[in-house]
Amino acid sequence: MSDVELIAHLMRRAAFGATREQLEASAAKGYEATVEELLNPGQEQRMGDDLIRRFHPELSGMLGSRGSGESWLYRMATTTAPLQEKMVLFWHTIFATGYAKVTHGKALSDQTRMFRRHWSGSFRTLLVELSKDPAMIIWLDNQDNHKRGINENFGRELLELFSMGVGNYTEQDIKECARAFTGWTIYNREYMELRSQRDSDWPYGRISWHFVYDPEDHDDGEKEFLGQRGRFNGEDVIDIICQQEATARFISRHLYNTFVADEPAVPQWPYAPPADASAIDQLCQAYFDSNYDIHTMLRVLFNSDFFRSRSAWYSKVKSPVELVAGVLRLTGEFERPRRELLDRFYQAEYMGQWLNNPASVEGWHQGTEWIDTGTLVERINFATQQLGDATRPGVRAMIERIALANGEGTSPEGLVEACLEQVGTLAVADDTRRILVDFASALGSAGGDPDSPEEAHRRIAGVLKMVASTHEFQRS
Amino acid sequence: MTSTTTRPNFLEYGLTVGMTTMEGRGFYYPVDTALASDGRMYTASRTIDVGRGVRVTMFDIDSEYFGTFGSYGEGDGQLVWPSGLAVDSRDRVYVADEHLHRISAFDHSGNFLARWGTLGTREGELDTPSGLAFDAEDHLYVSDTYNNRIQVFTAAGEFLLSFGPKGKSPGQLNLPWGLAVAPGGDVYVADWGNDRIQRFSPDGKPLAVYGASGLGDGQFRRPSGVAVDPEGYMYVADWGNERVQVLDPDGGFVMGLRGQATLSRWAENFLSINVEEGQARARADLEPGLEFPADDPHEESSHIEKLFWSPVSVKLDAEGRLYVTESNRHRIQVYSRGA
Repeated sequence: MSDVELIAHLMRRAAFGATREQLEASAAKGYEATVEELLNPGQEQRMGDDLIRRFHPELSGMLGSRGSGESWLYRMATTTAPLQEKMVLFWHTIFATGYAKVTHGKALSDQTRMFRRHWSGSFRTLLVELSKDPAMIIWLDNQDNHKRGINENFGRELLELFSMGVGNYTEQDIKECARAFTGWTIYNREYMELRSQRDSDWPYGRISWHFVYDPEDHDDGEKEFLGQRGRFNGEDVIDIICQQEATARFISRHLYNTFVADEPAVPQWPYAPPADASAIDQLCQAYFDSNYDIHTMLRVLFNSDFFRSRSAWYSKVKSPVELVAGVLRLTGEFERPRRELLDRFYQAEYMGQWLNNPASVEGWHQGTEWIDTGTLVERINFATQQLGDATRPGVRAMIERIALANGEGTSPEGLVEACLEQVGTLAVADDTRRILVDFASALGSAGGDPDSPEEAHRRIAGVLKMVASTHEFQRS
Repeated sequence: MTSTTTRPNFLEYGLTVGMTTMEGRGFYYPVDTALASDGRMYTASRTIDVGRGVRVTMFDIDSEYFGTFGSYGEGDGQLVWPSGLAVDSRDRVYVADEHLHRISAFDHSGNFLARWGTLGTREGELDTPSGLAFDAEDHLYVSDTYNNRIQVFTAAGEFLLSFGPKGKSPGQLNLPWGLAVAPGGDVYVADWGNDRIQRFSPDGKPLAVYGASGLGDGQFRRPSGVAVDPEGYMYVADWGNERVQVLDPDGGFVMGLRGQATLSRWAENFLSINVEEGQARARADLEPGLEFPADDPHEESSHIEKLFWSPVSVKLDAEGRLYVTESNRHRIQVYSRGA
């Protein structure tokens, strides 16, 4: 396999794809150096907040139901630190928090920013920050978790969905966990909660939330949690959680599921062993060796044989947001802020993924569950419309590069190959390639002056559009 | 930066007008305000993601409400991304649209009159028109934002002249936004991307540059608007620093404002009707003692409601009152000349 092909696989998984030029530049540096660049992106370049706020006041203030996700989509589409955004999406998918209940776009945006600060650091730190996150507190009712009357919701999900998984703790552990998080709430709880419940923007828009610890409302009594005894507060409970083998396996399996190959849905994990037990063992080892450092786990994962193996290539279906962000990076539509961002956001929503508003605390089910007859049509329509639009600067640049490299007399086979390369070195099955070549041949005999540059550009745009409709393009 | 005497009482807070509403009486992500000769005010709302609520609201400083005009769409009299507003000598209202790349004119009551403008880079064409201001002869100065120039038209839309190519040198512009014509005729432009105010003669000759990038007195971060009084004092919407600054006629720092909004009449009305919310608000601490990084006033303003949050536009009335429109708080804070 060539380095370009392998790096194309890496960029589909650890980024939102890459152009042929980016792949060649990365191949010149080598695979491991490219992994390091993804892990340590340096000073991020992207569309700046000031420019977004300048043209989108609705993405500046308290943000409506889609505002936090729209800002994030801009970032995914323009950042030079794509793995960071992939990991923010990873954490959002696990720690799924939704607008439907929180009804505070700024609080969700603040949560996204928190994920960005801790995207590849200590898992312990991330769990502490998550437990203090105002959107999470409201999402799982921890503001109602009191010394004199616990609410188990956050304590239960912390164990079940955020760290260990069902089967590794008892109902009593859940109660003790909830007790440890009593008094972890938000400032001005009554007023803020009431406005959220009423979806009240009045009189002057929402007010940002912030965490506050209320020692008067904290149950400081002795607790027994996962076999350990003490007057535990929330951070102590997180320390104990992070020490567990179950936690290491849980987070390893999530990383594998997101970056390597589909695992069964999370509720089945207690009953279905991992597809690759040895891979999970390697990731668990990295977790403990590094003192719960996600950065280290990612380095092990991306450099592993199980990740690099050709059998992993194209085995995953892109999530809607991955598909949309990847296409927008190719088309370059948002070299400046545009009203159409909202349309692109809606398109991901129609495909089943409304950022910062998953259907439930379980988040989205991954893999082939993204695909049904309705969403498949949305996905293909979106990709073909965008990549077939020669007014987009990125599409125009691809067309010009192909025309320049191949001249006007390119064979259908050569044209198809050039288009597959330009969209990120897409490998396709023989059947797919034959269909594309037939299509390119038909375009070539469709009339017009075959020697004119305009005709050549028209053919290239047509083949690019057809490439976007292949099932391989929908996969990662 | 030639800092002169600081005069903390140069402006004094008066009152707040407005409230958040998706439709009708109130604003939703307002972007500019203009004043007619009879005191009627016009504020354009950009609204949120679904287009609903795009409009121009008509009212006055006493919170009298006169209705709205404009709606979301591309037809005559409709708006997609409304931006700057200006009123001519006959009290006709002009609205720039940054998405449709055109200017629409309405009468004093909001009836549609005319529109012009097409996307392009040639003379008279527009790419993302934002700030608008009339001179005494009813010539309309337009911030042609993505063309990085100011274009001047007659009130009927006939092209007269343009100035300011993209760049950092004096006379050059980087995504200009709000602008004002001073009583003497000079044109002051919020040179947004260059963090400065530029002053031009009426025919576009660069005369002066005020301010530089930064957080200090007399420095700006992405200024969005400017107003100039008859004495030559400049009032700058220092948008990225979430404040308003006053500069003397030579550019010396006079004072800065961070905002001190109180409840408007419409807000009081809402809270008196919604008793439970009003009571919960009365029990809440709206000025929590949080510490924020000095370079992140955006975050501070999101937590403390009375502070300016996205103070996008500054306008003066004939009596010297200053109107500060805040996109993210959906209101206008009004200040008057003090000592």
